[in-house]
Amino acid sequence: MLLIAIGGGLASYKTKVLEVPFWEGERVDQWLVEAKVSFLATGREVKARLSLPTDAVLKNLGQESGSLDYHYTVEDDRDEYTAVWSSGPRDEGQALYYRVRFKQGLNSGGEPKASAEKPDSPDVPKLPGSLGAAAQNIVTRAKGVSADPDSLFVALFEQINSGSASQEYVLVKRHYEKEGMASPNIAMGIDLLGLAGIPARLAYGVILNDENSGQQPVPLIEYYDGAFWKVRNPNAPSRIPDGRELFVWHRGGGPLLEVSGGENSRVTFTVVKDRIPLATLTDLRKSPLFISTILALPASERAVFRYIVLIPLGAFVVVIMRNIIGIPTLGTFMPVLLALALLEIRPVQGIIMFSLLVGAGLWFRFLLSRMNLLVVPRVAACVVIVTLLMMMMGVISFQLGYSVGIKITLFPMIIIAWTLERMSLIWEEEGKRSAMVQVSGSVLVAVCAYHFMKISQIQYWAFYFPEMLLVLLAGILLIGRYTGYRISELIRFKTFSNA
Amino acid sequence: MPDLKVIVPKKETGALDASDRHSAHKWWHRWFRTPGELRELGVVGINMRNARFLLPNNPRRLYDLVDNKLRTKALAEAEGMCVAETYGVLRTPHDANIVEKILNGHEAFVIKPTRGSGGKGIMVIDKRVGKNFIKPSGVEVTPGDVKNHVSNILAGLYSLGGKRDFALIEYRVQPAELLTSISFQGAPDIRVVMLHGYPVMAMLRASTKESDGRSNLHQGALGIGIDIATGITVRAIHHGRLVTNHPDLGIGLIGIQIPQWDTILHMAVICQEMTGLGYLGVDIMIDKDKGPLMIEVNARPGLAIQMANGIGLLRRLEPVVAQHKKNPTADLETKIAYSVKHFRANLPDRFT
Repeated sequence: MLLIAIGGGLASYKTKVLEVPFWEGERVDQWLVEAKVSFLATGREVKARLSLPTDAVLKNLGQESGSLDYHYTVEDDRDEYTAVWSSGPRDEGQALYYRVRFKQGLNSGGEPKASAEKPDSPDVPKLPGSLGAAAQNIVTRAKGVSADPDSLFVALFEQINSGSASQEYVLVKRHYEKEGMASPNIAMGIDLLGLAGIPARLAYGVILNDENSGQQPVPLIEYYDGAFWKVRNPNAPSRIPDGRELFVWHRGGGPLLEVSGGENSRVTFTVVKDRIPLATLTDLRKSPLFISTILALPASERAVFRYIVLIPLGAFVVVIMRNIIGIPTLGTFMPVLLALALLEIRPVQGIIMFSLLVGAGLWFRFLLSRMNLLVVPRVAACVVIVTLLMMMMGVISFQLGYSVGIKITLFPMIIIAWTLERMSLIWEEEGKRSAMVQVSGSVLVAVCAYHFMKISQIQYWAFYFPEMLLVLLAGILLIGRYTGYRISELIRFKTFSNA
Repeated sequence: MPDLKVIVPKKETGALDASDRHSAHKWWHRWFRTPGELRELGVVGINMRNARFLLPNNPRRLYDLVDNKLRTKALAEAEGMCVAETYGVLRTPHDANIVEKILNGHEAFVIKPTRGSGGKGIMVIDKRVGKNFIKPSGVEVTPGDVKNHVSNILAGLYSLGGKRDFALIEYRVQPAELLTSISFQGAPDIRVVMLHGYPVMAMLRASTKESDGRSNLHQGALGIGIDIATGITVRAIHHGRLVTNHPDLGIGLIGIQIPQWDTILHMAVICQEMTGLGYLGVDIMIDKDKGPLMIEVNARPGLAIQMANGIGLLRRLEPVVAQHKKNPTADLETKIAYSVKHFRANLPDRFT
C-alpha cells in the first residue's frame, strides 16, 4: 500500500505539477541526437574540435554539451559552427558529449543552401594514364544522359553502386580501393564530380533510429549545382534526404572531428526518441525529483536503460505465469532473458531460431552424454557447441539472404547452454514429455512477456515513470501472499473426488 | 495393531453424503474445477501450502537437516530409529576410485546423492553377475558406469542448486513380500505427511512399468491412499484417475493392510521431533527382515497425496492447527491418538 502510494504519488506529481504527459498518446516526439567524442589523451594539452550542425546553433535547438573540466566554446566561421573543448594536460580515455534536440519531422538540415560566393572550380584529380582516360570517359557518358548536376549525380552514383558496372568503372574503382580509403565509393564519386566540373565535398549525417546506439556517422556528399549546395546520400542518390530518417550533422567541407593531444579519436552518435517536450524537460532537470528519472544520464547510457527498465516488467509476467497460472518453466528467469532477445529479433524468427538451436544443441548434448563427461566440462562443451551452432546459423542464413541469423548472437549463450543441460537431464530423469512441457512453457511465458514489454504505453511508463516500478513491486508482493489456487491446479485436481 | 474389521462411524457417512451433493457431476468437470469447488473440498494448492504451512513452520536453517541425508540419518540413528545401513560415503573425486573396495562383499546396494531431491540420481543395484551389476530393470552396468555415476553425484549434478555433493552407498531395502506384489520393479515407499507432529495423511507409492522403477506420481507411479487410523489402503490413483487394480500386474490395490503401521506412525512423529520442522513428509520403506526403515525426510512434500486419499489436505490441516494451539506441548502418544481418532477414513465396503 505504502509502495503504491509513493509510486503513484511521485507519478501524479510529475504529471500534474511538471506536466509530463502520462499517456503515450499525448506525447510530443522529439529526437535527441547525442555525439560522443572519445579519445585517448596522451598527457599533453588537449583540444578537440567537433563540427556542429548549423541549424542547431542558428535556431537554438536545445543544444548542450557535457564534459568534465573542459573549457567549452562554440566557434563561428562564416556560418560554419564548431564546438571547441580545451583543457590542460590529460591522461587516459576522455569522453565529450554534445546534444541536440529537435522535433520529429523537422527538416533534415540538408536543404539546398545558397552560397554567398561561387566556389572555385574544383581541382581536377590526378589519375595516372589510362585511369584518367577511363574516368574521363565515364564522366562524358554520364553527362550525355543527364541535364543538370542533380541528374549527373544520380547517374554517376547509380553506376557506382550497381554491381554490374562497366569495365571502366571497375578499373577506376579498383584504383581507389587500392589507395586504402575508408569509403572508396565516395572518394571516387567526389573526384568524378570534380572531373565534371561540379564542386563536391564530404558531409556527415546521423540515421534517426533509436535501436542502434553508438552508430558511426554516415558519410554523405554535398555538391554545388551552380546556385545551391545540396546534400544527398550516395547510397540512395535519387532521394532527397528525409528529415524523418536522416539528420545532416556536418556540411561545408572540412573535418568532422579534430583532436590534438589525443589518439584513437572517434565520434559516435546515439539517437533517442524523447517524448517529453523540451520546456518540461528543463523544468524537470531543475526539480529535486530529477534524481528519480533516468533522463539525467547521457543518451548513450540512457539507451541501455531502455531495456533494463523492461526486465522488471518481464519478471512480473513470470511471477503471474508461474504463481497464478502455474505454467512450468525451465529455470525461473530464463523466459525474461529469452523475451529480451525476442525484443531485438522479431518473435517468429526468434522462436524458430531458438528451437533450431535448442534442437541441434540437444542432439549434440546426447552425443556428449555417451562420453560420460563430468558436469562442468560438459556444460562448457555445450557452450562451445552452441557458439559454433550460432556461427553456422549466422553464415547459413546470411547465404540464404536473411539477416536475422546474424542477430541470433543476442541470445544469451550461457543461458542456452544451461537450458540444454537442464533439459537433457529432465529428459533422462523424467522423460521427454516433461522436458518438452517445460521448454514450451518457457517459450510461452517468454512470448507473453515479450508482448507485455512490447506495448509502447508500458515502455513509456517504465522509462519516464520509473517510480511506477514501485507499484509493480507492490503487485509482486501481493502475489507473493496469494494463497489461492493456480489455474493449472484447477485442471490438475479436476478428477478430485471425495472418498 | 488395530483390528482389520473397523466399523465406520455413522456420522462420517453422513458427511460423505453431504459432500457428494457438492461433487455432483457438472459439464466442466471434464476440463477443470472452479476454485470455489476446490475450496469446498478442502484442496490445498501450492501457493497455500507454501504461504500457510511451509514458510511459517519450516525455518530456513532447518532445511539442511533434511536436505542432507547424512545429517538426517545421523539424527535418526541418535534417536534409535531404524535406517538403511550405510556402507560408505564418498566425499572426494579420489574416492570414486575406491568404490569397488566399499562395494566388496555387498551383493545389492543403493548409491544416492546426499543432497538429491525428487529421487534424482539414485542408482539401485540388485545383484552382481561376474564383474558387472544388475539393476532392478535387468539392465547390466559395468564398474566403469558405477564410477561415472559417483563422479556425477560428486560434481553436484543431482543436488539442489548444483552444489558439490557426496555420494552415499547404503543397504538395498528388500521390500516385504506384500509390497513387492503391488509394485512393478522398484520398492514401494510410504509417505506420511505431518503438521506439528500430527500425522495428517499417508500414501503408498508403487511404481509401474511407465514410471520405470520410480515412485514419482507425475511420472506414472501409483498413489495409494492409506487410512491413518488403521494402515489399510483405501483408494488408488494413476495419473489422477481412480483405479482399483495395478495397471501392469492386475493385482487389487484396495484394502491391503500395511504391516507394522503403529511403528510407522511412531517413526514419522519421531522424525518430526528430531528435525523440528513443522510441516514435513517422511518416507519409509518396509524391509522384509528389518521392518520399517526411515528413508528420507522431505521438507516440501507434494500435494498429490490428497488425490490419493480423496480428501482435501485442508480438512486435516485446519483441525491440527487448532489442536496445536490448544495444546502446544502434546507428547508423541497424544498426537498419534488424536490423529487415529480424528483422521479415520471410510474403509471399503468389505471391511465395514
